Amino acid sequence: MSFRMSSSLVLAAALGAALAAPAQAQSIRIGFHAPLTGFAASDGKSAQNGAELAVEQINARGGINGRKLELVIYDDQARPDQAVPLANKYVGEGLKIVISGSYSGPTRAAAGVFQGAKIPYISAYAIHPDITRAGNFVFRTSFMGEVQGRAAPKLIGEILKKKKVTLLTLNNDFGQALAAGFKEVAGKFGVQIASEYTYAMGDRQFGSIVASVKKDEPEVLYVSGYFFNGGPLVAQLRAGGVTAPIVGTEGFDTHNFISIAKDAAEGVMITTSLDRDTKLPEMRAFIDDYEKKFNAGADMVAASTHTAVNVAAAAMRKAGADDPAKLRDAIAATRDLPVATGRITFNAAGEVYKAAQIQVIKGAKFRYFATIDDPVLLAPPSK
Amino acid sequence: MDYYLSVATFAALNVILALGLNLISGFCGQVSLGHAAFYGLGAYAAALLSVAGAPFPIAILAGVLVAGSAGIVVGFAALRVREDFLAIVTMGVGFLFLGAVRKNPWVGAEMGISKIPSPLDKVGYAALAIGAALALVALSVHVRRSWMGRAFGAVAQDEDAARTIGIDVAGYKIAAFFLGTAAAGLAGGIYAHMTQLIVPDAFNFIQSITVLAMVVVGGIGSTWGVVAGAVLLTLMPELFRFINDYKLLVYGALLLAVMRFSPEGIAGLLRRWLRLRLA
Amino acid sequence: MYAMMALGLTLVYGLLRILHVAQATVFTLGAYTGLLVANHVHSLAAAFAAAALVAGALGPVIYRLVYQPILDRPPFVALVASIGVLIAMEDGFRLAFGPYGLSFAQNPWFTTTLGFAEVSLNLAQIWIVVAAVVLLSAFALFAARTRAGVAWRATVSDPPIAESFGVSVARVRYLAFFIASVLAGIAGVLVGLLNNLVEPGMGGVIAYKGLAIIVLGGLGNVPGTLLASLLLGVVESYGTVFLDKLLDRDAIAYLFLIAVLMVRPHGLLGKGA
Repeated sequence: MSFRMSSSLVLAAALGAALAAPAQAQSIRIGFHAPLTGFAASDGKSAQNGAELAVEQINARGGINGRKLELVIYDDQARPDQAVPLANKYVGEGLKIVISGSYSGPTRAAAGVFQGAKIPYISAYAIHPDITRAGNFVFRTSFMGEVQGRAAPKLIGEILKKKKVTLLTLNNDFGQALAAGFKEVAGKFGVQIASEYTYAMGDRQFGSIVASVKKDEPEVLYVSGYFFNGGPLVAQLRAGGVTAPIVGTEGFDTHNFISIAKDAAEGVMITTSLDRDTKLPEMRAFIDDYEKKFNAGADMVAASTHTAVNVAAAAMRKAGADDPAKLRDAIAATRDLPVATGRITFNAAGEVYKAAQIQVIKGAKFRYFATIDDPVLLAPPSK
Repeated sequence: MDYYLSVATFAALNVILALGLNLISGFCGQVSLGHAAFYGLGAYAAALLSVAGAPFPIAILAGVLVAGSAGIVVGFAALRVREDFLAIVTMGVGFLFLGAVRKNPWVGAEMGISKIPSPLDKVGYAALAIGAALALVALSVHVRRSWMGRAFGAVAQDEDAARTIGIDVAGYKIAAFFLGTAAAGLAGGIYAHMTQLIVPDAFNFIQSITVLAMVVVGGIGSTWGVVAGAVLLTLMPELFRFINDYKLLVYGALLLAVMRFSPEGIAGLLRRWLRLRLA
Repeated sequence: MYAMMALGLTLVYGLLRILHVAQATVFTLGAYTGLLVANHVHSLAAAFAAAALVAGALGPVIYRLVYQPILDRPPFVALVASIGVLIAMEDGFRLAFGPYGLSFAQNPWFTTTLGFAEVSLNLAQIWIVVAAVVLLSAFALFAARTRAGVAWRATVSDPPIAESFGVSVARVRYLAFFIASVLAGIAGVLVGLLNNLVEPGMGGVIAYKGLAIIVLGGLGNVPGTLLASLLLGVVESYGTVFLDKLLDRDAIAYLFLIAVLMVRPHGLLGKGA
């Protein structure tokens, strides 16, 4: 890394910028950062896919008021110490709106920068509550953990009509938030929590949990986690002779879950925002186009970033793409906007209300099971 | 402008971390693979105090002291084990810290600690971080030249010989650990207030390795080399945006290449080049 | 499972005093190879054979390219170089095979279970235990009876004297890497089958724990390593039951490790350095 090398890099960058300049006069640039490399690369990939698909679809339909949309994508490796300089870079480059396709740590750190610079910032799927508390320029398009956690007791109590539940909770912020939400409203639907067991992100062997569950004999299992721990967990539960219905969350909402768990995945239900059997045009278009473009089933991370781009686009159509303050107001005013994840409305804190979709796995595919559209139950906190 | 400020601030924090590790591993020859734990201890201690309402300087001081005290404890452990065993023990300390934090709600468990007040602005943090980094450089240079530095060197070279000539090996090892980990604690405190949310992931084994890489690439033992290594590795992701996708591949290959061709790092390269020039 | 990785690491350490973190790379490569072969050819036997071969080939290559040139440097050099290889290769796997991880198309071991008393084990778990026992015993026999085994032991104890007896130290080293890598590659396929998932980062955790195990057992000491891997597995399982509210699994393992080392600084069965 001699001085010669770095100056030729600068030269190359400058040339690149100069060549690209004429095209940019027409297009609208929005920032997008995600963990494209590093330990979170799988979510980063999904995030990027979702966002790029959204941009493609929007541009195919004529763009925004005639101008094409363009993503300025940077890799933050899910690290705050990269996200903060990136945030400053976006601000310095004059971008009027930025979307986070990354995790909570980096997103919260970057949120401070954007709030200070008064640039609207949309967190696609990072779940930490503190993110939107950074200020009124920060929004979140995904379910908060606690909110999503509240959907399951209603499903279990009212629709499945069962009472005794064992919680299998992933020991990270997502899992703990889901469990907290679940416990908050369980009593209202007559659901009793018989027991709770936690496991770690890196766990793939669950012998002791399976044994404990068999002893407890719950009627239903509520499992928080991601496909790479949930998959083996569910498989081992079934292999161990546990036949109780299993309810998961959007962490399982990816085809990878089904490929890992195979037959064990049959009958598993999840709380999520995607309905594979939907008639809603935006959701339908997202699911089908995603499959066509990427040759793989869509997942919730991609759906969330897709949604975030569309929220930004809708706001820009209304308020123009040049004034960040007007953009912020337009986003905040979003009501019942049809997007890939349903119809969404923002509340005063920048959190979203949307219905929860309950999907069930039948024939190795996600199918519609139920919808929980309860603005009171699923209301996100307003401060 | 802000962009450069934030990059500079993080570079300064990394310099502090790297110089701290250099004190322990470079000057005093005690391998430490768990440096991120002390970074984390400093961050968590400072954050907890700040959230509870303590003034900024007190919080930072707390971070320094907590990390340093933990460093003393680890230093005692270092008395029992040598070399490779020490490497593994320090690696274990890192995982132990993470595991304890992840599980205990009073330190935020998985959610980390949020809503940390931020008393300074961007320029303020940059100034503080860079100031601290410079102070540490001065300290490093001073220690190197002082009696303490010579004692460290003796311990690093040959512990048993050092003992026979009356050097309090134990005392110096512990001192090295204290200084190095206190520095990490300082960086942690600043980091916590800058980002306002700290999560366990930021202080994992990868972070320890990253700091080690900075020291090693710079030239273990050389103050200026380590500074260069820290700055370089901080800037790498920024400079190399165009190889975005291959970033880690390049990073790993770089580590390998440096170890293979110039284990004394940049400092070693520079020294050799100078020697050639002057010969 | 831990035991297989640990044995490989011990082999390398015993010979060269190198902490071969990059063992994880061989492990993961074996897993990917096995999966790809299995999914195309539908034969687990072929998958294992392929994995063993590919892994066995990569190991000595790593030795030749990475370690051999730096044998005379201080030990942390090799360690950092090894870590560099691990980071680079992990990213390489991600680039080559995608970040999501791949699953086996047909995985009878995953789904077929046998019940013993209250515990049900799937075939993969059973095979892992079987494989470990078989391979480790084979190795023990090898070390004790065959010429190559004796040569290996001689080189561990005293390279110059071994040389003077006509042992080709270089050959022994390549052999050690080969054996260690084959073990790692097979372990990789087994773990892949166990979880029905092969991901780029799967080697990392196991490599670090493996290092902890060889240290625990007393570096370079084969029986110590085996004892340590068993002990660690037990401590982790029981530890998580009791200490779950305080520490996570990794922390418990390392706490145990640190505690042991404080009492016996050279490992459980290690002799004074």
